[in-house]
Formats: sequence, C-alpha cells, structure tokens
Amino acid sequence: MITTGLKKFDEYLNGGIPKGKSLLFQIEPGMEETDIAFHIMKENAEKVNTIYVSSVSSPKNVYKKMEEFNLEIKEKKFAVVDGYSSLIGAPSEEKYVVEEPHDIGSYEDVIFHALEDMGGDTLIVFDSLSNIMDLCNERTALEGIERINNEISKIGAYILFNFIAWPYKEAVLYKIKRMFNAIIYARKEGSLPLMEIKRVDWNGKIAKFYFKIFKPDGLRIYIPKIIVTGSFKAGKTTFLKSISKKFFPVERLGATTGVEYGIVDYKGYRADVFGIPGREGFAPLLDKFAGSSMGVIIVLDSTDESSIRIAKNLVEKFRNVPRVIVANKQDAINAKSMEEIKRMLFPYNGEIVKASAINGVGTMEAFEILADKILEELNVN
Amino acid sequence: MLIKTGIDRLDELLKGGVPFRSNVLIYANPFIGKDILMKKIATAGLENNEGVIFVLTDKSFGELKEEMTKVMPSFTDYESKGMIRYIDVYSPTVELKEKSEWATYVESPVNRERIAYSILQAHKEMEVEKHRLIFDSISTLIVYSDAKAVFRFLQVLSGTCKRMNTTSFFSMTRGMHEEIEVQTIKHLMDGVIELREYEARYQIRVQGCGEAVSRHWIDYLLEENEIRLTGAFRMGRVA
Repeated sequence: MITTGLKKFDEYLNGGIPKGKSLLFQIEPGMEETDIAFHIMKENAEKVNTIYVSSVSSPKNVYKKMEEFNLEIKEKKFAVVDGYSSLIGAPSEEKYVVEEPHDIGSYEDVIFHALEDMGGDTLIVFDSLSNIMDLCNERTALEGIERINNEISKIGAYILFNFIAWPYKEAVLYKIKRMFNAIIYARKEGSLPLMEIKRVDWNGKIAKFYFKIFKPDGLRIYIPKIIVTGSFKAGKTTFLKSISKKFFPVERLGATTGVEYGIVDYKGYRADVFGIPGREGFAPLLDKFAGSSMGVIIVLDSTDESSIRIAKNLVEKFRNVPRVIVANKQDAINAKSMEEIKRMLFPYNGEIVKASAINGVGTMEAFEILADKILEELNVN
Repeated sequence: MLIKTGIDRLDELLKGGVPFRSNVLIYANPFIGKDILMKKIATAGLENNEGVIFVLTDKSFGELKEEMTKVMPSFTDYESKGMIRYIDVYSPTVELKEKSEWATYVESPVNRERIAYSILQAHKEMEVEKHRLIFDSISTLIVYSDAKAVFRFLQVLSGTCKRMNTTSFFSMTRGMHEEIEVQTIKHLMDGVIELREYEARYQIRVQGCGEAVSRHWIDYLLEENEIRLTGAFRMGRVA
C-alpha cells in the first residue's frame, strides 16, 4: 500500500492506495494546483520505484519539478517515459522513449518495458491522460489505458493519472468514470482549491477538503482560518506560538487592535491561525472574524475564574462553528481541576483539552481535534 | 458596446468595431496582413486603456516587443504601466529565454492546461477593467495536437475571457488545416475576419462580429504597416 502521508486523506482512502489500484485526478482547467502526483511520489519514494509518463513536458522539466519538491529518487528507482520529445521533434536522453506519441500502442510498449525492468513494486504516474487522449484518438487511447490498468492490477503495481477536465463529450467522461478504481476531483470553490473524493472502490469514503500544494512541502489539507481567542493573559500567544511552524507577532492595526498570526503544519493539515483577544474591546473584530472562520480555539486560564467565565461567553458566541476549549496552565499549583472547569462551562459539553502551552503540552492535540472537527463539519452535507 | 480594431475603414465596415467581450477569429493566408491586423488591434486596445495579453506560439516576446515598438513608439510606456502581459509559448521550445516581469513562459504548445492557467493569472494580475487577448496562433496548437482538443481548450478559454471582460482575437493560418478543422474552430467564435488573396488582389471579409455594412469580400491594399480598405462598401455606393 502507498499513502499520502496526510492523516485524513489516508483515512478517506481507507489507509492508502492498495496494490493493483488505479487512481484518477480529474482537474478543472486553469487550476494552479496540478502537482498532486508529485506529492504522492515524494511520500513513497523510499517504498516503491517510480515511472513518470511525461506527455506534456520535457523530462528536463520533470526533473526540475522534482527538485522543487526536494524529491530525490535514486537513479535505479526512477524512470521517465518520454512521450514529449518525439512529439516536438527534439532528441531525447531518456532510456524509455515513446517514438510514436500518436499511438497508444507505442506508450504501452515502452511502459511495459520499463515495468519489466523495474519490477512490480512500482508507481506509474501519467502527467496528462487528457493529452494522450487528444493525441491518440479518445477511444483508442482509453482502450490502451484499460490494458495498462489491467496489467497494473495483475502485477500489483500502482497507477495515478492526471486528467484535465476539458469539455469532452459526456459519453467519454462516462467511460472514464468507470475505468478507474478511484476518482478524485480537484476544482476551485470560490478562490480555494477543493478536492473531492468521488469514488474509492476499496471501501474508502466520499469526502471533500480544501487543499494547497506547497513547494517543497507538498500537498496539505488546507484550513484557511482558525481563530484563537480567550481572556487577557490566558496564554493565547504562547498557545499560538506552540502550535505554529511560523509565527508572526502582533500586527498593530491601531492602538487597541492586535492580531497575531501563525501557520500550522501538522499531520497533513496546513492552517492559517489568527490570535484575537477575547475581551470587551475586541468584540467588533471578533464578530467580523467569527463569520468567516472555520473553527475556534478558546484558551482559558485554569487558575482564573474570570477567564473561565469569559471562555463560557465565547463558547456561546461561536456556537455555530466547530470549537475546542484549551484549559491552559494546568501545570500551575492553583489550577482548577478539569472536572471543575467542565462544570463551570456547563452547558458546553464539547471538547476540553488539558494543556500547558508553555510546556507545549496538549496544544497540538487541541489543534488536531479542531482540525478533524472542521473536516467532519465540511463533510456533513 | 463596440471596440475598435484600429483600422478605420474596417471599423466603418463593422459599424464601429467588434462587440466588446466577443471572440474573433482572424483567418488568413500567410504574409498578407494578418500580423499587421493583430498589431493594429493591440495598439487600439492600449490606446483605449485596455490591458493586452499576448499569447505567442511562433515568436518570442522580445521579437514581438520590437515589432510593436516600431508601429507604436509608446508601447514600452504601456508595458511599464503594467498594461501588457506576454505568454511566451515559443521561447522555451527553442531554449531562448529572456527575463521580464511581464512575461510568463509555457514550455510547449502541447501544454494547453498551462496556457489556460497563465492567461487566467495574467488577467488577475492586471489592474484594468477591460482586456484584449491576442492569441497568435491557434494553428500551432492544432499542429501539435488536434482541432478537437484545441476546440475544447478554446471553449473553456472563451468562457473565462468573457467573465474577465476580455475581447479575444485568435489567429489561424489558411492553408494549414483541413476544412473540417477550420469549421470546428469557426463554430466557436462570435465572428471571423478573413483575409485572402484572390485573383492577384487582397480581400477582407467579416462574418458575424455583430453588425456589418457588408458581408462581401472587400479589396484592400497591403502597405508596410497598414491595411487600407479600398473596395467600396458604403450603402448607396455599392452597385
């Protein structure tokens, strides 16, 4: 089995992509985020051999892209099947060259040759199925792809396709839908790239999530806006610092306005997290942010009753978004017990995470709980 | 709303110009004025404060810039104002790369996906209300792939362009394609401006493109940087 390395994505795939399976990424034209396959190549570079079938860009460009993702694969574990050079009449330095890029049979021959050389534990990536369909005649191309998929299934390799969803005829799209074990759409929703898992025939889940692709980090499930709030001195800044990969301190937007910002990168999630004070004066700012946030982390000072009361108000204020409460300063001697805090926050009966932000205890856990909840919420409808 | 092509008598023929946000095919034999017409259209766009996006498959953006500056000395001023973008699909194939903040490279004409993306990005970057897209040429795209694939690409692209307040002009070379391919592409356009050489004369004709005084072939003279319509088309003057 190969994996994506993203906790939730792998969960949706029922653990990952099993041997012998084919997966199609159907990508809306005009999207920037088309390098999903590179992420999966990188994630599994140690585990399997990789054959990259290049039909829209030169092998040189493929290597360049791999560099951008810090993707180093040992020579014997990687090969490009070059379907590009012959197309534009350029010489190729590759071992595996498709001499007749208008003939799917030529692709098959070269791919089977490369597969034989590299063995069964191989991941094959097609950079553009749509382009091959355009070059080789749609029907004939798909027949060839079916033969390749069958071979993959027989020898237990893995195969991924990028497919740009140009307005093909319905009949063609329908045929494509039935040809692959898994189908994932990538499209824009508003300005955010959204991934939709449409079909996974090995007991996966139908699900969707926003995503981004970072270089060199790779693919991440993206959460555009999480708010961290709470009473004065509850430890918001310490908490935010503790979970952030990158932290940007107070940005002065005026005498009384302080917004902190952190980027969190954890278990395949990437989130933009904003810290906003929860006390009275900041109410307008909080209200403004609340409407568009995907989730809220409320930090409270376990040693301070007024802080807990403020947390209770905030919980109420954000009742329409996924929330988690962080009971901070649990390492202090005068900290109230979790039971007592729970009682004081009644009727709130959601997650309360025991934490000591200064020691980095419970912080990532709180983030993860919230991120999971946000994804659940997104997938309710 | 109509926008000017920059050739006065052609605009007269079109009763003022081509409809804003339409897409127009410039279909012509080689060397009989297609390049001049495309440059005129670009010039008229800039003079009308429209941003201009060039997609180039047959020359580098450096060459185009040089040619444009010859016919429009203020061209570089518009460039430095951020009103011009080049999507250079030519230079990478010949490994000839010049740097410019206004130019984006697409590795090859096969990569239509990347071309579409770059056009979209160019639109987003430019701070103007209206645009013109000068796509020269779709013939090259067809040669590297096939007409149906290019048709699908144009279908997506023309939708994008309309949304982005863009009037688009696509060039296609007569004689390079089979009739069915030409019809496939024409089918997608709001209008066609055709140039041909006929019995030792140069002629122009408009189809679609909103209203026109005449739909017949009109004679024109080809000068160094000018197309001069000499044939009569005014109502009342036509015999």
